[in-house]
Amino acid sequence: MKHLTGKEAGLVLCSECHSIHHNLTEVELQCSCCGADLHQRKPNSLNRTWALLITSMILFIPANTLTIMNVAYFGQDDPSTIIGGVVLLLQLGSYSVAFVVFVASVIVPVFKMIGILMILLSLKFNINMSERQRIRMFRFIEFIGRWSMLDIFVISILAALVNISGVAVITAGAAATAFGSVVVLTMLAANSFDTRLLWDYSATDNHLDK
Amino acid sequence: MIYNILLAIFLTVNINLYCCDIIYNGAFVINSKILLCHECDLLIENQEIAEGSKLECPRCGHVLYKQKHNTVNKTLAYTITALICFYPAVTESIMTLNMSGLSQEQSLIGGARVLLHEKYYLVAILTFMSSLLAPLLRLTLLLYVTLSLSLNYFHSSLLWSFRLYHHVEEWGMLDVYMLGIIVSVVKLLSMAEIQPGFGLWAYAVLLVTSILATTSLNHHEVWEQLLEKKNSCGATQAVNQ
Repeated sequence: MKHLTGKEAGLVLCSECHSIHHNLTEVELQCSCCGADLHQRKPNSLNRTWALLITSMILFIPANTLTIMNVAYFGQDDPSTIIGGVVLLLQLGSYSVAFVVFVASVIVPVFKMIGILMILLSLKFNINMSERQRIRMFRFIEFIGRWSMLDIFVISILAALVNISGVAVITAGAAATAFGSVVVLTMLAANSFDTRLLWDYSATDNHLDK
Repeated sequence: MIYNILLAIFLTVNINLYCCDIIYNGAFVINSKILLCHECDLLIENQEIAEGSKLECPRCGHVLYKQKHNTVNKTLAYTITALICFYPAVTESIMTLNMSGLSQEQSLIGGARVLLHEKYYLVAILTFMSSLLAPLLRLTLLLYVTLSLSLNYFHSSLLWSFRLYHHVEEWGMLDVYMLGIIVSVVKLLSMAEIQPGFGLWAYAVLLVTSILATTSLNHHEVWEQLLEKKNSCGATQAVNQ
């Protein structure tokens, strides 16, 4: 049986207080219950997500190639990149922490960007994928996204703590800005994506088949 | 195609008949006979579910609502505890570093200050926002909403406060910051001696209580009570019950 959506029934859900509105005119765009803006779907959802995703992908390159942290130990500079920091942890013998940092600052952002890209491409080229599978992936992406802030926090803690001039000084590098932007932009990209579009697109397909 | 349109018309008419007693201002409130899935927009007939259980969307698996009542007071208690711990957690030193006879303290606010001093404005703002401003704002909003509800007080600013709470929620990253502390300690152990400070304990309590406050709160219950107290939507709710 074909499912009926709120859009087809002419109903609009308030994204904030979850009250359902009907018989809305074009001008009436505010929820009468909580005052939030009402939209059938998030406005320009796909365009916004594409823009934010592409920007974060571009910024991911300097985030990984430039120095993220500089350790000056007795006057000797030792700049390191994200991967360099992981390698250092491995050399120190703390494999579990190295694994956590590697997952948070390399695997998570890459997985996030590829995941959102896959969902956007599947909508763009009408690739037949299960909606349930895609929404599971999207929820996972939303859930893990914030954990890539780990590296930024580590740098800010180390920079504040190891600040004994002449002995050891840790300073942030240019990649920190780039990496921070990547994290924020991918979070915004996930936020601006409207998951209901997954079913909208497959529904139009069903219509065309008949 | 025609079948779908007919189905749509049929159901729309049906919805209007169904809900004619609870329509007010063109809005159905949360407790109505139909539900829309937030994530896939599926139209679902509302069901009575047992206390403590939750209703999931049959198509995408999204949790539509939880039947959990009397969560407001519990959340209020956790929120107050978290706010009490906030000040020492931010200002007291989280840990002290001893190296070659010299020592250096670090507090939550110090990290952002050093980055600002080094002119990494974006990173500084990001750290400040996610480790300090967003959690504080979130807890304050939560205190305002839960305290007002338990004192039976209503003001229209409660509506946007609770809306803002939803948006701030994901930008507070106290838990990620805790992991950051652990990673930095491991990184430093080989070259220096680290001592935990009072701020760390306050921070740990803050983290646990703020997580408990977030998870114990039932958003639907709060919205239900807020809209009940608001007149224009409250009339609908009263008819419905």
